[in-house]
Amino acid sequence: MLRKNPTLRHILGRAGWYFVTFLVAVTVNFFLPRLGDANPIDAIMAKAGAMDSVSAREKEDAYLREFGLAETDANGKVIRTADGKPVKTSLASQFVNYVEMSLSGDLGTSILQYPKPVTDIILDAIPWTICLQLPTIILGWLFGNLLGALAAYKRGIFDRVLYPLALLSSAIPAFCVGILLVYVFGIRHAWFPAVGGYDPSTTPELSGAFLSSAAYHYVMPFLSIFLIVVGGQSIGMRSMVIYELGTDYVKYAKLLGIKESKILLYTFRNAMLPQLTGLALAIGAMVGGALITEIIFSYPGLGMAILTAIQGNDYPVITGCTLLLSITVLLANFSVDVLLGFLDPRIRAAQAAEAK
Amino acid sequence: MELVKGLFKIPSFLFGLGLFVATLALAFLGPVVLHIDVQNRVGDPYMAPSAAHWLGTDHLGIDMVSMLITGLRSSLYVGFLAGVVATLVGTLIGVYGGYKGGLLDDILTVATNLFLVIPTLIVLILLSSSMEKGRSLTLIALIIGCTTWTWSARAVRAQSASLRARDHVALARINGFSTFEIVIEQILPYLLSYVFMVFILQTATAILTEATISMLGLGPYDSISLGKILNDARTNEALIGGKWWAFMPAMVLVTVIAFSLYVINTAMEGVFNPRLRK
Amino acid sequence: MTAPALPVETAQHPAPKASAGKVVLEVEDLRVHYLTRFGAKIQAVDGVTFSLKQGEILGIAGESGCGKTTLVSGCMGLYIPPLYHTSGDVRIDGQSIVGMTPEQNRKEVLGRKIAMIPQGALNSLNPTRKIKDMAADMILSHDERADKKTIHDRLRERFSRIGLEADKVLNSYPVELPAGTKQRCVIGISTLLNPKVVVADEPTSALDVSTQKSVISLLFDLMNQEIISSMLFITHELPLLRHVSSSIAVMYAGQFVEYGTTEQVIFDGRQPYSRALMGSMLSAEPGQKSRKPVAIEGAPPKLDKPIPGCRFAERCPVAQADCKSTDQVLRVVAGRQVRCKYSDTDLIKQVGGDA
Repeated sequence: MLRKNPTLRHILGRAGWYFVTFLVAVTVNFFLPRLGDANPIDAIMAKAGAMDSVSAREKEDAYLREFGLAETDANGKVIRTADGKPVKTSLASQFVNYVEMSLSGDLGTSILQYPKPVTDIILDAIPWTICLQLPTIILGWLFGNLLGALAAYKRGIFDRVLYPLALLSSAIPAFCVGILLVYVFGIRHAWFPAVGGYDPSTTPELSGAFLSSAAYHYVMPFLSIFLIVVGGQSIGMRSMVIYELGTDYVKYAKLLGIKESKILLYTFRNAMLPQLTGLALAIGAMVGGALITEIIFSYPGLGMAILTAIQGNDYPVITGCTLLLSITVLLANFSVDVLLGFLDPRIRAAQAAEAK
Repeated sequence: MELVKGLFKIPSFLFGLGLFVATLALAFLGPVVLHIDVQNRVGDPYMAPSAAHWLGTDHLGIDMVSMLITGLRSSLYVGFLAGVVATLVGTLIGVYGGYKGGLLDDILTVATNLFLVIPTLIVLILLSSSMEKGRSLTLIALIIGCTTWTWSARAVRAQSASLRARDHVALARINGFSTFEIVIEQILPYLLSYVFMVFILQTATAILTEATISMLGLGPYDSISLGKILNDARTNEALIGGKWWAFMPAMVLVTVIAFSLYVINTAMEGVFNPRLRK
Repeated sequence: MTAPALPVETAQHPAPKASAGKVVLEVEDLRVHYLTRFGAKIQAVDGVTFSLKQGEILGIAGESGCGKTTLVSGCMGLYIPPLYHTSGDVRIDGQSIVGMTPEQNRKEVLGRKIAMIPQGALNSLNPTRKIKDMAADMILSHDERADKKTIHDRLRERFSRIGLEADKVLNSYPVELPAGTKQRCVIGISTLLNPKVVVADEPTSALDVSTQKSVISLLFDLMNQEIISSMLFITHELPLLRHVSSSIAVMYAGQFVEYGTTEQVIFDGRQPYSRALMGSMLSAEPGQKSRKPVAIEGAPPKLDKPIPGCRFAERCPVAQADCKSTDQVLRVVAGRQVRCKYSDTDLIKQVGGDA
């Protein structure tokens, strides 16, 4: 059955490949933060402040057990060496522990906001990030492609004005757009709130007051991400369409007397398909840029969660968030991969050739 | 050669080049002409621009112009080093993989696919957060270079694979030249302009990436960079307080470097890739 | 000029019978120029006159840059900036096409009266569109009211007629078809509306020898079945025309330098350039004396300003002192038009090897 269906074969192959990538991502996610010598327990103990040595010792034991960082005896007590230092568990057993926990959906406990579970922190943040980024990136992608196609087709004035602007907007780092917007419209003119996701006098619930304040706070972060996405995508689309307009099939279609509107449809469709891959690839970069935007606007999403965690060496939260982001990007790529196989005969033919 | 000459006739190329040379001049001639001091306070925190201090002072009272020029030098250093690493590794593996195929090509494909789906920024965040003490400017540049080379490798690989079928390459192969000789003598020369464009883009990306991770508070511990200036301004409430001179000039500088490099790249693409020419 | 003789027939290529029918395409003193990026005016076609009769195949040969492609654009009425019509006329079936608006030209001329079979057939089909859809687009662009059923039947009939498995090929994407089939599809689509004139621009240059032959015999078939009535065959390989065309025009620097029957031009060229063009190709065919391929030194002149005297004089191996000062006009020598002062002397026989 597989031999007869190269598309299915291809999808399964890709799925396997993405699973391997996922495993690597999980591994990287675990080991990279542990390469250094920073010790989260010390950080948390320092934060807890001065206390007598017995209760400090008990507290430290509790943490060590909780994070699985020290060897314990049969009674669950932390084993210590003669000078009182806990015996650290090996990285390997920490890793096994981590994988087991992750697979059961337990991403550990935050150090900074102890004893709040990491999953709770992420669940609080994620609706904000999704509501901000998903519509913005999709709208920006659509609008950017339209603009890029128009610039390629019209050249002339579009090209002379829009293209440098788009180039400039893609050269401006994501956070600069945010800072500029905050400064000009949030502080100098105070047209829009400069920070936060909603008015602090309201609480997140389905009330008119909350929703309207959230919408009001939405405008500037939206604009800041939107502008960047539009800039990047329109540049890509412009060169794709220019490329397509110069291809043999377009020249031939013109010689056949095929209508111009038809020819434009050809080029847009053919330029759009690779742009779809561009979208998937861009999601990784965009997520990064958008995270920074959240930070600039103190938007209560994942970006802020990561920033707070970085500043407090809150490793469980950092790895939890990055793991989630990696999975998102992987899924986005996989969906585009599968989708393109259905939409683009060129890719389908390549898949068929591969399967032979 | 004729193409290179043609390049210098294109207004946008000259514009980009001019901008870039201007930033270079600021970075290298600035310290010669101006008195640079980033150690000592010269006044109160957040003093507004004045004749003595053209761009005022930062949150500690240190001269902003000194900070900016020092930061600019760091940014250029990071961009250049990361650009060289990424381009060198990427080109070698890309050319070789594209020409030869085989194991190296497989490794390339695996690595590229991995890095494409695991966002570079996340790797950087994870790495940087664990290396608090050793996080020097050079290390950051190397990390950036090592996580972005797959992009240049992919781009170069495609070009190199298309050269493989050319007559002069086939001729060299028949005449028994080694793969290394063929790659160096028959393939690389045709890719030079392309590799140079890749380098320009990698440099611009590296400068932006450094600014971004410094902005997150993961900047170098040993140097002042443009991203760090921005981070300082943000954490010390320059934005809310309306102290524009603490962040605006640094933003402009980062943008100008990246923009000038993008413009140069686009102009070169227009010349070396005739398809894009009108 | 004299009526062109029958093309040389070979066993592989049963050539169409040229009936001395009515004139289909008339080009009269056509001049076409384009502007470079720096605003210079290049007179790429400079006073070309010829006519094409029903059943005739005219080969146009010359190096790249001689103006062949611009001449084709001119004949099709494709004056799209930076290409401009300077003067002269092009008539198809008696109707002038040079004054038409681009839209009128697209709808009434392109594909319907004059159709092109392009050089790079391999990439000439939209990769993301099935063959039948692109072919339908072609028909619908000329006849908005054509209904699906009619189009479908027409495509099936035509594609079977040119020797393709119509149902399979029409439902395929270009990437799924071999090169030879794609070339046939292109020919099929180009001739869907039974155009009067077909322009074949090096249609065989990207193909292997056996496919080349089948493509040429397919074109002959189409003429014999009167699907197309005449053909312009553009090539840089003059010897190739020997088995293809009934008459030949050799083009140099925007002008015809020799224009006669295939016999005359190939075996008894009277112009140094066309003789050199014969000699510069390696042609190991029976009946042709083995000549050493001689490359023509130098490159065609730039046409941004008027050239005094003979345009080929710079590169001509037998150029005389007065060649560079006297303008050359087309005149009739030995039954064909030729542009050389010395074409009736033995001087030119020194060019091209044999004497």
